[in-house]
Amino acid sequence: MYNCLHCDEPALSPLYESSDEACQKPFCCEGCLTVYQVIQGKGLGEYYSIKSDTAAFKRRAPAETSSSSFSYLNDQEFLKEFSWANDDKQIMEFYLEGIHCLACLWLIEKLPEFVPGIYSSKLDLERSVVTVSITQEGKFSSAALELSRLGYKPHPIRKNQTTNDLKKKEERSWLIRIGIAGAASGNIMLYAVSNYGGASGSYAELFNTISVVFAIPVFVYSAFPFYQNAWSAIRNRTLSIDIPISMSLIVGALMGIYNLMIGIHDNYFDSLSALVFLLLLSRYFLHKIQEKGLDATDLHYFYQSDSVLIQDLKCVDGYREIHPRFIKKDDVVKVRPLEIIPCDGDILEGSSHINNSLLTGESLPFKVNSGDKVFSGTQNLDQELLVKITKSTDESRLGQILKNVENGWSHRSEIIKLTNKISKYFTFTVMTLSVVLFFYLYNSHSLIESLEGAITLMIVTCPCALALAVPLTFTRSLSMASKAGIIIKSDEVIERLSKIRNIFIDKTGTITYGKIKVVRLEQTAQSCHRLFDVVCALEKRTRHPVGLALFEYARAYSQQDLVVTHLKEILGRGVSGQIGNSFYEIKFDGIFEDNKQIGKFEVADLIRTDSKNALKSLMLSDYHVHMLSGDRKEIAHSIASKVQLDGTYVHAELTPEAKSEMIRTADSAMMIGDGANDAIALSQASVGVAVMGAMDISLRAADVYLSTPGLKPVVQLMTLSRETMKVIRRNLILSLLYNSTSVVLAFCGLISPLAAAIIMPLSSLTVLISTLVGTKKLRKLWKY
Amino acid sequence: MEILIVLLPLAIFMGAAFVCAFIWSVKRGQYDDLETPRYRMLLEDKNKKETK
Repeated sequence: MYNCLHCDEPALSPLYESSDEACQKPFCCEGCLTVYQVIQGKGLGEYYSIKSDTAAFKRRAPAETSSSSFSYLNDQEFLKEFSWANDDKQIMEFYLEGIHCLACLWLIEKLPEFVPGIYSSKLDLERSVVTVSITQEGKFSSAALELSRLGYKPHPIRKNQTTNDLKKKEERSWLIRIGIAGAASGNIMLYAVSNYGGASGSYAELFNTISVVFAIPVFVYSAFPFYQNAWSAIRNRTLSIDIPISMSLIVGALMGIYNLMIGIHDNYFDSLSALVFLLLLSRYFLHKIQEKGLDATDLHYFYQSDSVLIQDLKCVDGYREIHPRFIKKDDVVKVRPLEIIPCDGDILEGSSHINNSLLTGESLPFKVNSGDKVFSGTQNLDQELLVKITKSTDESRLGQILKNVENGWSHRSEIIKLTNKISKYFTFTVMTLSVVLFFYLYNSHSLIESLEGAITLMIVTCPCALALAVPLTFTRSLSMASKAGIIIKSDEVIERLSKIRNIFIDKTGTITYGKIKVVRLEQTAQSCHRLFDVVCALEKRTRHPVGLALFEYARAYSQQDLVVTHLKEILGRGVSGQIGNSFYEIKFDGIFEDNKQIGKFEVADLIRTDSKNALKSLMLSDYHVHMLSGDRKEIAHSIASKVQLDGTYVHAELTPEAKSEMIRTADSAMMIGDGANDAIALSQASVGVAVMGAMDISLRAADVYLSTPGLKPVVQLMTLSRETMKVIRRNLILSLLYNSTSVVLAFCGLISPLAAAIIMPLSSLTVLISTLVGTKKLRKLWKY
Repeated sequence: MEILIVLLPLAIFMGAAFVCAFIWSVKRGQYDDLETPRYRMLLEDKNKKETK
């Protein structure tokens, strides 16, 4: 077994360079070989030595070479929407498919050295986004062309300057807030320690004054987001943990300043500013990890192909390349084989097979002739088509689904986060206790003293440990999930997951591979010994899914290459050709030699090997597992029986709308699917899970994206959410325990700034340890 | 203890200077991409030619 030199995928029947007589350099496919030659030709062979020095950190697919000339990148109309200027340079961003390691970084940032007119190219490895800037002489098309020659598929990203800038600005201000809170709280602590250590008189006064000066930016600037959240929660009459936090902060600050003015040296600036720092930090981490997930799924392009050929009689060959965004009604588009049809339209010329599986879930290809309607998002399989666009992007079938998806999102019931739910009781209890404490103290103390006691209680019961532990726990579990290839859009999803009772799974692409495979290929006549060779030779150039499946299957057994003459592929009939003296045909009902049947085959969409076990363990965990399918009833039921799924839980022949209706009426449902036909259902479900290979549109609709195939990640996901919520509940109890301790101390009159300075960090530390221990246990469970 | 009159302003000044330096670095975008530079650094050695 060899691995491809370029992409490291196992190469089953390796290809070799013609000059490579000793067969030292295996490649898995033509694409990888071409890219290798291009890279070597440019004298960039160092790429491969860098690659072998560093462990690849992303899985890489074999190189795909694009036929596009990228000339649309130079259209003025296009540049206006996709690029921006900086000094005298034009800048554009591309999302690159196929980025996987350090060597890619090296190769791409070399671009200015061998492409004229490119000023710089900077790659962001994390996001797989390259920022290309060109000088006046340069063209983006040459940069894109070069990138695609190197084996990366570039997709231009629509410039979104304003939102991008806003995001960047917000992120930077977060960092500054954290930095200031950290520096100030550290300094305040120094002075606080001196005071606890017994500084007195003018020194104590000096230290306190400095503390206040340091605390002002923390309480005003760094803590601002808490006040903001609390205020918007109050205004919308919702709950938020930020309300009790803001209350403690404001009361604590006011009391500190008041005490300073009247000359008492008690303040809580040290504990509270450290709290602000830790809270900001934990929220920042959570935000970061969520953003990472979003970036991976919320790609800014919606079309699978970035360019289409439209008829333009002014051009030399009658066609011009444009970006699908600029297609208008009544344009005539040439759709080449394997391209995605960009908009709904009618076929003017040509006949071909269309793969509808993404739109409808049907697994077998569908024949179309001129005059037929075709829909956006479907794939043209074998022949060129001329399509007259009848609907704009928004009006087309896919656009409608997208609209429904967005509706589904907005109609979805909100869940109230556990921490926010608690904050209601929390605030109420603290308020009541403060009032009780006030009257309790008032019996024996002065008015000022009892007021002070009540206020102190409000400060020291700040739910800091709780507010700290929850984002930390989520950060840990989200990052563990993303390491396992499960990308979760937000922490809220984990809470939703823990409430799931019904799991709906789409059949095609989820339980099955979603791809036609050959189950059986055998010869029926004794006379022919080279059945596999024949099949291999005839189907070599096919693009029909059945043909492809046959080729893939036969290739493994093929012993010699046969030369075919008169090779012909007839739509809807099969392929035929002359090999030696015999005439061969492959049709749907078998393989024929001179009109005599010599072989037969059977194709099916196979069930994934791990489906049965995964479904079983889901059912053992008391979930109701349903199977949904747009396919025919018999197919759906036969697959269900193979994975031992109860017949009553199988729903077949469903339209996208019917699927979403089922989800909507079901109680706390999770939907797992891949195609555009699942998109509405995904957005309706309490949690939508898109599986690997899913279309962009369903990625948008989903909350979770599984980047590893199969159903095993679903089982992991459910375990993850259950265990995470368990850890959070435990943290909740621990932090409430600490809060009750401080309440008791306050009633006994033992609470002081020093006591707060001990209890607050201690409680935070406890929940931190509990979180770490909890997630460690989760990691063990992970390897089931 | 009179030395505090010198030390305190000094400490505060140093703290403030570092905070300012931090704010400056954030505003210049040095924290925007934390992933790529650490790899880019590794490549510079093998790649003697200055690429700009």
